[in-house]
Amino acid sequence: MKFKKKSVMLVSFTVGTLLLATTALADIASKSGYDELKGAIKLTTEQASEKFDSFTLDYSMALKDNGKTLESSNETQKVDRKNSASENISSSLSANGDKRSSQSYSDKTTIIRVSESDPTYYVTEFTKERKDEAFTNPFKEEEAADLEKIVDAIVGSLKDHVVVTENPDGSKAITGSLTEVQIPSLVNAVASFQLKQEFNNQNSNQNNSKMPRLTKDVFVKEVKGSAKVNADGVMESILGTAVLSGKDEQGTVHEISLEALVKVMDINTTTVTKPDLTGKKVVKDIARYGDAEMSNPEKFVGKFKNDIIIEKDSKFVKVGERFVDITQIDGKSVAGRYYAEYKPEFEEYAASLSSFKFEAKFEQEQKTSANFEGTNDSGDKVRGHIYLSEYEGQVNFNIDNFNGSFGSGLMFNSSFSPVLD
Amino acid sequence: MAVFQAALLNELEKLYKKKKVLVAILLSLAVIVIGQLVIVGVRSGFGLRGTGSVEFPMLVLSVVVNTILPLFTALVAIDSFSGEFNQNSMRITLTRPVSRFKIYTAKITAIVLFILGALLLLLVFSLLAGFIFNTNSATLDSLGRTVFSYFVSLLPLTVLALAIALLANIFKSGIAVFFVSVLAFLALKVLGVLFSQYSSLFLTTQLDWYNLFLVNSFPILKILRQFLIMLGSGIMLFTAGFYIFDKKEF
Repeated sequence: MKFKKKSVMLVSFTVGTLLLATTALADIASKSGYDELKGAIKLTTEQASEKFDSFTLDYSMALKDNGKTLESSNETQKVDRKNSASENISSSLSANGDKRSSQSYSDKTTIIRVSESDPTYYVTEFTKERKDEAFTNPFKEEEAADLEKIVDAIVGSLKDHVVVTENPDGSKAITGSLTEVQIPSLVNAVASFQLKQEFNNQNSNQNNSKMPRLTKDVFVKEVKGSAKVNADGVMESILGTAVLSGKDEQGTVHEISLEALVKVMDINTTTVTKPDLTGKKVVKDIARYGDAEMSNPEKFVGKFKNDIIIEKDSKFVKVGERFVDITQIDGKSVAGRYYAEYKPEFEEYAASLSSFKFEAKFEQEQKTSANFEGTNDSGDKVRGHIYLSEYEGQVNFNIDNFNGSFGSGLMFNSSFSPVLD
Repeated sequence: MAVFQAALLNELEKLYKKKKVLVAILLSLAVIVIGQLVIVGVRSGFGLRGTGSVEFPMLVLSVVVNTILPLFTALVAIDSFSGEFNQNSMRITLTRPVSRFKIYTAKITAIVLFILGALLLLLVFSLLAGFIFNTNSATLDSLGRTVFSYFVSLLPLTVLALAIALLANIFKSGIAVFFVSVLAFLALKVLGVLFSQYSSLFLTTQLDWYNLFLVNSFPILKILRQFLIMLGSGIMLFTAGFYIFDKKEF
């Protein structure tokens, strides 16, 4: 009897262990629809950024209120990775009825833009060849792996809502849908609050009556998605729909739906053509690309000035001029003198910071901004920041410890224009 | 069988006489009331709907299944074992002409019945509150899924009860069991987030397995795997717990 009990216990414990172990292994090994979806997205972006010579991406988005289109946009991006060229055609319809469409072309040495409202071709030519990646893989970014973990944890048990059906030709359809019962209440509440705020904010900015203003009983009604993956595992299209339901102040129920569709087409067969500019109105521009490159910094040598202004008897009165005199500049550093000149009748405003010398190293070679430190006439340290704007032809000159002047009513302006005559 | 029934009745009576059951009922109702108040607050304050009539019971379930239900399962299980070990009242139970296997089974059954009772209570009252205070969003399908979700939650909670019963037989002091259970529970929760690909193996994630029954496509394979994992661990825990209980000297 005793022996029997022991063996029964042994057997049942073993059965339990085996059952647990085998199903656990099967469970870990089984690939959920969510994993397949993730895999397809990763593979597609990887191939698009490394393997395909050319492809076309098509994004479209539509916002509808009870089935009536409020906003829509479409963008077709043709990418030729081999020649680092790309072409963009976009059109949109905004909520106040404005239709916009524009086109752009970009390669290593040029960018060309044109829009429907203005048939002028704006051409930017670069003096140097740009290193322009036509398409970068977002999963190669540093924080991608961490982000993926966070997303996985948030998605949590919703993973099981993704279903994969395989077609005979090897392609797959991945679908998923969540209705209000299936969306966790907390997620629904946070999401609908966010959407409501965003939606209503957008409304009040644009100030148009076509957009309904949701005030009551807002909730996420449905979230749906479907994707097509071809036999090579590359995602051909992905469609997502979200429906937000709510009432406006009159109590009318609105169902706002947002649909987004991304398609990948014409893999390796896309051709990007440079627009033909013959006979078109063209505005040319030589690249002054932000603060990235400054070809001839010597042009900044000289005096720059602005007016010193006070408010007096409800009027602006000029009391003098400030000068930044740049005496020396090269790719690495800049040096000069700051001083202010007051009109004789306003001499009393001349404060301690009326003159100092500065010298500054640019933050990085070929950059145009620098922090400086100088010493004024009374021996105090002065710190500030100088920025040479090629684009505006101005110098921005900020002094950090310039608090003395605010009390006296002096207004400070940090942009200095060149003294040219 | 008659012997088992008598033992079970005995256990149920002991359980019923404890104040804990009353506290459990009051806390469950409190969760429903507070939850409903929060929803009403959100609705009038932020203009959100919060929950509809059927989503409210699901909200309540998602909260209690991770908080007060495991807590009370632990308390009742600890009381049923450690409590009796310490008061030496276990001797009285054992002097009856009932085998230790039947006593152990009767104790576990009583705990399971307690969990079932708590789930039913929560279901009925949250459905009532849901229908009275929220806009109607019920369809037969969603209502059926809601009721079903409550019932399937019994399984992971039973496994939890078995695990705690095992701990109660290993450690002498009830307080030790309680703290070990709470720490293990929290640790598993954290691990489930960190290793989300293995999370379906953890008991704490299995508490949420009712979500699988809400999926439109009804992932039968996944449900089966989860069921077998729980069944396997349940058998192991029961056998191990009983083995120690059987060997114990009082």
